[in-house]
Amino acid sequence: MLLDVLQGAEAGSFIIFRDSAICPGHRLLKSYVHAALKREDVVHVLEFETSEGELTAGLDANCAQRLHVHSGFVDPLGWIQRSSFTVHQFTSQDISALLSSKPQSKPVLLVIDSLSWLMRHIDPVVICKRLQEIKRGGAVKSIVGLLHADLHQSGVVASVCNLASTVISLTPRTNGQWVLARTTKRTKSGKVLQEGELFSIQEDLSVTVHSKVSHTTVTQPETDTVEGNPAANLTFNLHLSEMEREAREKLALPFVFSQEKKSALLNAGQGAGRILYEPDANDDFDQEDPDEDLDV
Amino acid sequence: MFTDLNSILNASPDNFKQGEFVLILDRKADASFLVHHFLSFYLRAGCKVCFLGLVQSFSHYSAVSQRLGVSLTQAKEKGQLVFLEGLKDCLGILLPGGTKPECPTLDFFSPQCLDLRGLFEFVLSSLGPGGGAAGQGDCGPDSPARPPVLIVDDLSVLLSLGVSAGAVLDFAHYCKAHVCHELKGSAVVLVRCEEEEEEEGEEEGCEMLLKGLTHQSTLALQVQGLPTGYCRDIHGQVDIWWRGQSQQQNQRKVFQYKVQDKGASFFARGTSSAVL
Repeated sequence: MLLDVLQGAEAGSFIIFRDSAICPGHRLLKSYVHAALKREDVVHVLEFETSEGELTAGLDANCAQRLHVHSGFVDPLGWIQRSSFTVHQFTSQDISALLSSKPQSKPVLLVIDSLSWLMRHIDPVVICKRLQEIKRGGAVKSIVGLLHADLHQSGVVASVCNLASTVISLTPRTNGQWVLARTTKRTKSGKVLQEGELFSIQEDLSVTVHSKVSHTTVTQPETDTVEGNPAANLTFNLHLSEMEREAREKLALPFVFSQEKKSALLNAGQGAGRILYEPDANDDFDQEDPDEDLDV
Repeated sequence: MFTDLNSILNASPDNFKQGEFVLILDRKADASFLVHHFLSFYLRAGCKVCFLGLVQSFSHYSAVSQRLGVSLTQAKEKGQLVFLEGLKDCLGILLPGGTKPECPTLDFFSPQCLDLRGLFEFVLSSLGPGGGAAGQGDCGPDSPARPPVLIVDDLSVLLSLGVSAGAVLDFAHYCKAHVCHELKGSAVVLVRCEEEEEEEGEEEGCEMLLKGLTHQSTLALQVQGLPTGYCRDIHGQVDIWWRGQSQQQNQRKVFQYKVQDKGASFFARGTSSAVL
């Protein structure tokens, strides 16, 4: 499914690459951009985290013509008046103006590197709203964003990923150089597809999927504790034999009001004492049984 | 500079990688010996260095650098080193009777200032072309100019001064973009984290700063004490993480170290001379 996403050109999609510090996703994003350019898509990149040179390295002139980088790398906040794109220009109007400044016959692919940079300066709620506006605007065919999941609260990450039609989470594998990509895709019908794949990126930025990983084997239980038998390996015996177990079960506990005790109390035994009560003039002798309403 | 560390990092004053953003971080240990290493390394290499000293005075670094064979006073007089003495200069802003400095470098001490723009402009003016610092190569038109270097000791103290983690990350980003990419120099920043565990969702803490800087860095050196406790002959361990653009380019190695009078020795785990 990873290769389908990377090579697909589904319109109206919002793809998020979730990475972390131990498993950066810049190269995968670059691979996506290069693949899109080779497909003859027009790509606009809002670039904050890497320089334009790094992004365009390795592109031939034909592809480079279709790539428009709006770089907020050098001056994202306007401190030195050298910015071509600042963080505060991320609004649907400004984006539309940017896209229409380079008019194309076909809808464009908008790549954001990275969403985390935007979310650090603009409230995530506002970001979500603006992303929806841009998606519905019509000038943009698809939006692709890189999100550093370890830089935000998990709730915020989940909210932003909820907007996406496809989320690809990257986790490293301890054995070897491959990376595990867990792809979750929501189709228009509402069906959710999930798949895990081990992949690597070659020198020419092509992605090779090595194997698929099934969902059940990948999700290891969090607590790997094996509950040991505390009565094992002791110098004294804590086990019960069958006879001892039966005797224990038969034992009546002292404060439990069982059936046997009830009948023993209610039925006076042989030779049990009797209580004779002679009320005198001051006593208010009530013939009624005060315990009548008890269910005994 | 420490020869052991140079061989591990595959660098020498004549031949080192440019455009590096080095993050030094320590947890319950003192990684300032690495700051002294990088300071003496880059001065020996002839680079122009801008040093933001926010936690110690100039004389402290000067005394340690003397032992490593580099004279900071000379470098400062030559113009090779631009030193911001944060401790001394901040008194002018903090004390009521102090003279306020003209430039906005230490503006972040005042509560109205929310970003580190002034500090960044100081860095740019020191290292940029025609700036205050001059490398050895600037003497003649034929000798190649050595790349500029920014060293910050340390960034996490800004958090305790009331600057938000986001503002510090912005400052670090600007330094990386200008010093490492535009000027093809290097930057070395030290961050100290005291608390190991923070509540999830603590966006303003040291952990957030650390994660953000780790994303930006190309080389991370994490210093911590030995997990088994104090040892006289091994002072701690360093986790060296070469961070590439993708998982394949990542490489991580752990070494143990001992800080000595005139340097530090680094060795693979379990191979300390006291043990073998």
